[in-house]
Amino acid sequence: MRTREQVLKDLQTRFKDDIVDLLDKSPKRVYMEIKPEAIVRIGSYIFKDLEARFNIASGVDARSHIEILYHFSLEYINLLISLRVKLDREKPSIDSLANSFKAVNWVEREMSELLGIEFKGHPEMKRLLLPEEWPEGVYPLRADYEEWDKNAIRDRGV
Amino acid sequence: MKLPKVRELVEAIKALVVGPYTSKFPFEPHVPYKSFRGQPKYDSDKCVGCLACEQVCPAEAIGHEDITDSGEPKRVLYHYTDTCIYCGTCEEACIADNEGIKLSNDWELAFFDRKTESFETIEKELQLCEICGDVIACKDHLQWITERIGELTFSSPTLYYSRLKELGVVDENIVSALRDSGRSDRFKILCARCRRETTLTTQ
Amino acid sequence: MAKSVIPIGPWHPLQEEPEFFTLTVDGETVEDIDVSVGYNHRGIEKLSEMKSFDQATFVIERICGICSTSHPFAYTMAVEDVIPVEVPDRAKYIRTIVAETERIHSHLLWLGLAGHFLGYNTIYHWVWKLREEILDVLEMLTGNRQNYAMFKPGGVRRDVNTDNVPLILKKIDGIIPTVNRLKKAILDDPVLHARLKGIGILTKEEAIDYSALGPTARASGVAKDVRKDAPYGAYDKVDWDMIVTENGDVWDKAVIRILETYESIKIVKTCIAELPGGEIDLNIKDIPPGEGIGAHEAPRGETFHYVRSDGTNRPARHKVRAPTFMNLPTYKATVIGETISDASIILAAIDPCYCCTERMAVRDMEGKRLFGGPDLVKLSQEKTAQLKREMGVQ
Repeated sequence: MRTREQVLKDLQTRFKDDIVDLLDKSPKRVYMEIKPEAIVRIGSYIFKDLEARFNIASGVDARSHIEILYHFSLEYINLLISLRVKLDREKPSIDSLANSFKAVNWVEREMSELLGIEFKGHPEMKRLLLPEEWPEGVYPLRADYEEWDKNAIRDRGV
Repeated sequence: MKLPKVRELVEAIKALVVGPYTSKFPFEPHVPYKSFRGQPKYDSDKCVGCLACEQVCPAEAIGHEDITDSGEPKRVLYHYTDTCIYCGTCEEACIADNEGIKLSNDWELAFFDRKTESFETIEKELQLCEICGDVIACKDHLQWITERIGELTFSSPTLYYSRLKELGVVDENIVSALRDSGRSDRFKILCARCRRETTLTTQ
Repeated sequence: MAKSVIPIGPWHPLQEEPEFFTLTVDGETVEDIDVSVGYNHRGIEKLSEMKSFDQATFVIERICGICSTSHPFAYTMAVEDVIPVEVPDRAKYIRTIVAETERIHSHLLWLGLAGHFLGYNTIYHWVWKLREEILDVLEMLTGNRQNYAMFKPGGVRRDVNTDNVPLILKKIDGIIPTVNRLKKAILDDPVLHARLKGIGILTKEEAIDYSALGPTARASGVAKDVRKDAPYGAYDKVDWDMIVTENGDVWDKAVIRILETYESIKIVKTCIAELPGGEIDLNIKDIPPGEGIGAHEAPRGETFHYVRSDGTNRPARHKVRAPTFMNLPTYKATVIGETISDASIILAAIDPCYCCTERMAVRDMEGKRLFGGPDLVKLSQEKTAQLKREMGVQ
């Protein structure tokens, strides 16, 4: 059973070329920024070797770039590690983690249709939440999204 | 397998003896618990017309309309029953000791015609600027301010004139006499822009 | 036999409801299952970016009707994690009381619906009658049976009225004898043993690979519960046990939910007895820029919220993850290989939102549609009746 300091030191020495920044916010929260090329290596190491549980991945449109945060929880030391990757806003793309463990399959489908991120190598990329009539190339969670449905009711409707 | 049947029989006999669990609504009225959050209702004496409830409402269920062109200037507040989510944020935000709008126990709120019956209204008197005619605030709101700042009321002619007029202490003869002797605009009830102009210029 | 799938629906003149699950069968055995979600997608994450932090709590409450506490609880903890700050003790106890009372009513609801799917309609009505007492308790505490409007970043919005406490305790004590009777009736029934044991097994490796949560994972031996691993609220000040079993079938999931109801009753009574005095709200005015994460153990698993703030009074990004999102893909591991008369109870065992479970269709290998959702429920009820006849019961 490792301690918190051992886990963090292990990650920092093993992946020292890929980690850009480490923010130790509080005893329970650590935010680690890594390079996008290393996500499969670091993600599967944390899931399999450190025996973490995958929580969810959240995509954020940060106006100048697009970020993805992958949240893993290590319950035995009460720590939540969030891996942050920064992607280019014009054509965001990253390797898919869905071939390493199955928990991340649906989240990547959701992020690709709501934010327009491309996940290379995903086993079954198709629509998850949006209906069939939704036009291609319109990503609702982006900051520059505009209403395209002229028949939508936006007031009380009386 | 007789033993389980005895257990279930106890429950069945109890249900037979006590009777059905449901009540005979609508033949008997249903009164909810005292803390039930029902329809919000305005209180015309306590509400000051400040529009704090409209700003905090999460569902945008409160609106207002200022009527200034015909007759007495007044502000009409609307509360839309079909948009309200009965959360109680308006009651918490009310500045008149949380009594201007209160959640009652009323829950039978169905109506037929959405255009005419889906809202409740209340009217408050408005105070207009004596030079430009803009809306300043409701008269009760100005009273509320003067009651709370005590003697600092006398720093602004808008505040102390409206207070003295409510108390009935202002003598209209003196006011009209003062009106003709230069810089008399300083002694009127004014909106913020006109007050700036009369203080800084000599128009 | 070549498999050809003819797309039918979701809006088809012969169907009642939109298509949701598609089971491909060969004879009586399920070969493949495909899940399509998204019929209830309301765009809540985008909506919370347009409301202030306080107003967004009301939108978040209305994500789910059954677990109407879990989402605001996780959201307010996420906002408090941005600063970070601790709420007063009295607010922690009140939040725990509301959350645990809701867990009791949600597990009782599941029990009733599982009874309906198996053909025990009497259990369905009795358990829902019992549930009315719990809903009365919630109405006395918060003002409404659902959508409690109690949570706010920094504390709670309303205090517990001490006049109501004796009646609340009387109602909670009043349901214990009936829950005891139900527990013994369910655990002793041989037809239920035959029906539910060994069905829909989720192994421990699969539960970890899919990152399953809540009773679904605890039934497979994965001993994880947010209330024990990362304590919040009053959970570390009250004595209670985590229920874990080994087999991973539907029987274990039912047993876990019944036993968790007892633990919740214990927590509620202890919290009411030990309620501390003090403030209930911190009156937070400004949220500084930063990120925060909040997690709460809902009746179905762990709810996870992530909030990012940029210093204004609105969230810049709010990510919501309900527990069923991680549990639904486990259908691929549990349903394949089982018979179609067991399909409805296996799909109900992870306790998803029930409007989803009814949208099922079964196609045979040539793509012809054989059964709809209500037909599958009827098949399941008929299997129970046949088992009862074979075992000589009733």
